[in-house]
Amino acid sequence: MINVILIVDDSPVSRKMLKSCIPKDQEYVFHEAGDGLAGLELYRKIQPDVTFMDLTMPVMDGATALDEIIKYDKHALVIVLTADVQVKSLAKVTELGAFLVVRKPPSKESIQDALSKAEEKLR
Amino acid sequence: MDTSTHISEEEKDILQEIMNIAFGKAAADLAEVINIFVVLSVPDIKIIKAVDLPNYIRTEFCEFSNISIVEQNFWGGFKGNALLVFQADAGKELIALLGDSGELTHESEFSDILENETLIEVGNILIGACVGKVAELLQDVVTYSPPRIIFEDHSSVSMPKTLFDPSNSAIILKTVFSFNERNVNGFLFLITSDNSVVWLKKALADFMEKYE
Repeated sequence: MINVILIVDDSPVSRKMLKSCIPKDQEYVFHEAGDGLAGLELYRKIQPDVTFMDLTMPVMDGATALDEIIKYDKHALVIVLTADVQVKSLAKVTELGAFLVVRKPPSKESIQDALSKAEEKLR
Repeated sequence: MDTSTHISEEEKDILQEIMNIAFGKAAADLAEVINIFVVLSVPDIKIIKAVDLPNYIRTEFCEFSNISIVEQNFWGGFKGNALLVFQADAGKELIALLGDSGELTHESEFSDILENETLIEVGNILIGACVGKVAELLQDVVTYSPPRIIFEDHSSVSMPKTLFDPSNSAIILKTVFSFNERNVNGFLFLITSDNSVVWLKKALADFMEKYE
């Protein structure tokens, strides 16, 4: 069951957009980080059930952070939420172990669908 | 300060995210058309008076003796001029990336034409996808003029005078493109009138409404 969600994105607006797409009737606990490195450190600290990861970020990009998270926890459920929709980028993060890739901008449907799949995976 | 045309920090953040999405789309379109991989950087947005743009470009490109500018006009609720600025040798870099296609010639008589055509094509795709995606996200439709290329000595940037109407604003999207590990620096400038900024502010608010 999903309880703790980590959101890693350098854009406060993007984090707000994502949170608004997550159902309000579930009492999720949110944690947020503004770059890949901060996200990785927070991941190790809080062990979230699901992580939403942007790709294009300062300090450490999302692909590197994803790679590090998967090395640390091979069962990590990382949903890449990105504007970088190049076929090669999507293939790369899939190869690195992303659970799902969702294209920006997020919608209630795309995020709820991703969370349902994550919930199923956790059962 | 005229609040009707002043863009707040929050509006800038929204615009930056929209530009980020638009640039992702532009990169994907480019990758599909010419089979290259574009490493995207975090876009940085600044809004300055259009009259200050030549000085801004001169400062940002001071390490290059010449620059190439692909210019395209767009019309819709959001209207203005898009300028995509590269260092002058960007065309050669892009041609080198395409060199494996077997369709290119390196004969000198064709190289200038090829370089221009490459820049225009890349510029057209990037500007079209970027402005088009911004328009789509903001529920607008835009039409474009054909792209044209301008070569400039950076010490005397002399872009069209009409762009520098004191009432115009320049929305600067600064991003660095890296094509298959060759660094090609590209800046995109969108120059709009204050009327368009008023439209843009409303469109940004409408865009965020569904995320409230």
